[in-house]
Amino acid sequence: MTPVMRIITSRSIARPFLIAAGVFLSRGVPALDFSTIDWQLHGFASQGFTYTTSNQVFGASRGGSLDFTEVGVNGSVRLLPNLLFSVQGLYRNAGGSDREDFRLDFAQVDYNATLFDSALTLGVRAGRVKIPFGLYNDTRDVVWTRPSVILPQSIYFDTLGLRQAMIAADGGLLYSRYNWGNHRFNLEFMVADPQDDTGDATEFLTGIPDAPGMMEGRPLFLGRAVYEWMGGRARAMFSVVDLDRDFRSDTATVPSGNIQALYPLFSLQYNEERWSLTAEYGWVASQRSGFTPVPLESTSEGFYVQGEYRLNEDWSAVLRYDVFHADRDDRSGRSLAEQTGQARHRFYARDLAVGVRWEFVRNWLVAAEYHNVDGTAWLSPHDNSDLLQGGGDPHWDLFSVMLSFRF
Amino acid sequence: MFRSTGILHRLIRCWWVGSLLSLAFAIGIGCAGKSVLAAEPGPKIYTANGRADSLSAETLREIFFMRLTSWPDGTPIRVFVLPDKHPLHVRFSKEILGVYPFQLRAAWDRLVFSGTGLTPHVVETVDEMLERVQVTPGGIGYVNK
Repeated sequence: MTPVMRIITSRSIARPFLIAAGVFLSRGVPALDFSTIDWQLHGFASQGFTYTTSNQVFGASRGGSLDFTEVGVNGSVRLLPNLLFSVQGLYRNAGGSDREDFRLDFAQVDYNATLFDSALTLGVRAGRVKIPFGLYNDTRDVVWTRPSVILPQSIYFDTLGLRQAMIAADGGLLYSRYNWGNHRFNLEFMVADPQDDTGDATEFLTGIPDAPGMMEGRPLFLGRAVYEWMGGRARAMFSVVDLDRDFRSDTATVPSGNIQALYPLFSLQYNEERWSLTAEYGWVASQRSGFTPVPLESTSEGFYVQGEYRLNEDWSAVLRYDVFHADRDDRSGRSLAEQTGQARHRFYARDLAVGVRWEFVRNWLVAAEYHNVDGTAWLSPHDNSDLLQGGGDPHWDLFSVMLSFRF
Repeated sequence: MFRSTGILHRLIRCWWVGSLLSLAFAIGIGCAGKSVLAAEPGPKIYTANGRADSLSAETLREIFFMRLTSWPDGTPIRVFVLPDKHPLHVRFSKEILGVYPFQLRAAWDRLVFSGTGLTPHVVETVDEMLERVQVTPGGIGYVNK
């Protein structure tokens, strides 16, 4: 047991706080029983090193970049068996792709009720909540919960501005879980205000560099349906995000407009003792109106197939093929290149990745991977200013190592 | 365009065939392994007052995945486990819950880092497990038969 866990489980530090909390709460909630309160503190710290043969990922990676740091600390208090408060602070640096530094990742309250002999659970979660999208989105900043240092970029954009709007949102979600023998069904529905004024999300959504103005309008809708067999031995999932936002420009030279996007995602996973197979397929159908005389419509697509193999408890390996097309009706990028004057490789990316991870001491891991990439579609324009001037290398390699500790 | 769809189709086909083959393989191993395991003492669910003795595998799974958080009388459920690599934890996960230890670990990590649940308390030995479960109201763990 680590010292931190010993402190947490023995609750020696907790006692004065709990007494204070108990005294405070006992005024309003006289029946609150003290012995029912549980709390935990957890966190992680990860440092990455990225090297690319050409193009830049997470800082100036052509010469080797250390601009990939993820540090988070969270606390959860269970006041009643079915009432949980939790908060997480996050520091993240990813070169030009993420310049937000410290942020409040989530701050939420979760309440649920179980019915029919605990077979059905109905719950509500509110505050700043993580966006439950696909297999990895809600904990994607923690290398321990993702299969590789760099997630499949066709689905989980990490270098593009849209990332900020996909991580967490302010609002609430309703969820239900139903168990029937070895089958488990899970439904979530979320209504929340996305953080699309943060980072480069506004710029990404409007397509206007340094877009001067505010995003507003209808909150995002999200739905996710999950089916699990045998505690997750097999898992099938459908998630969908529906975004309808207005950009209100601050200046007369830049027009205001509306952005609509629908992002459905299908996910499949099968887990055996030694290996796991995972695949996800999704597309973003978007429409921008008001910025140009004629509304711009496009539908991108992304998918990957991934295999993980566990050599033993400490070592595992991952192999993945990940594809992104900016327009699924123009997979070669030829007509987009003609329309925009940009290079063809800006509109697709095919990434073959192989990696290993090693948990060398309990709660410490090192993960290393190699990517062979054809195309530059998901590269950050902030780290690659030459891309907008027709530069960039369509064939490139990426090497990444990450060291992480958690408690 | 033609080339990439071809690769996708081939990969998906391989994936399905692989899944089916390994499922058959796993069932075979599971059947072959049963007679050997029955001879050794196995894991057994443990609570101070025996209230979990008659629970189904599905309910135990909900408890150890930290999704079911209170006993029928309203007491919070406090879950105790041995470290991920401990032989008894491995056997408990596989034989009682019907899952692999990495699945439990992945689920606990997701709960903690999305703020949607608490993790079990980790104890180092079976003796410590007995002791902690006995003194913790609503405690549940597992021991050797």
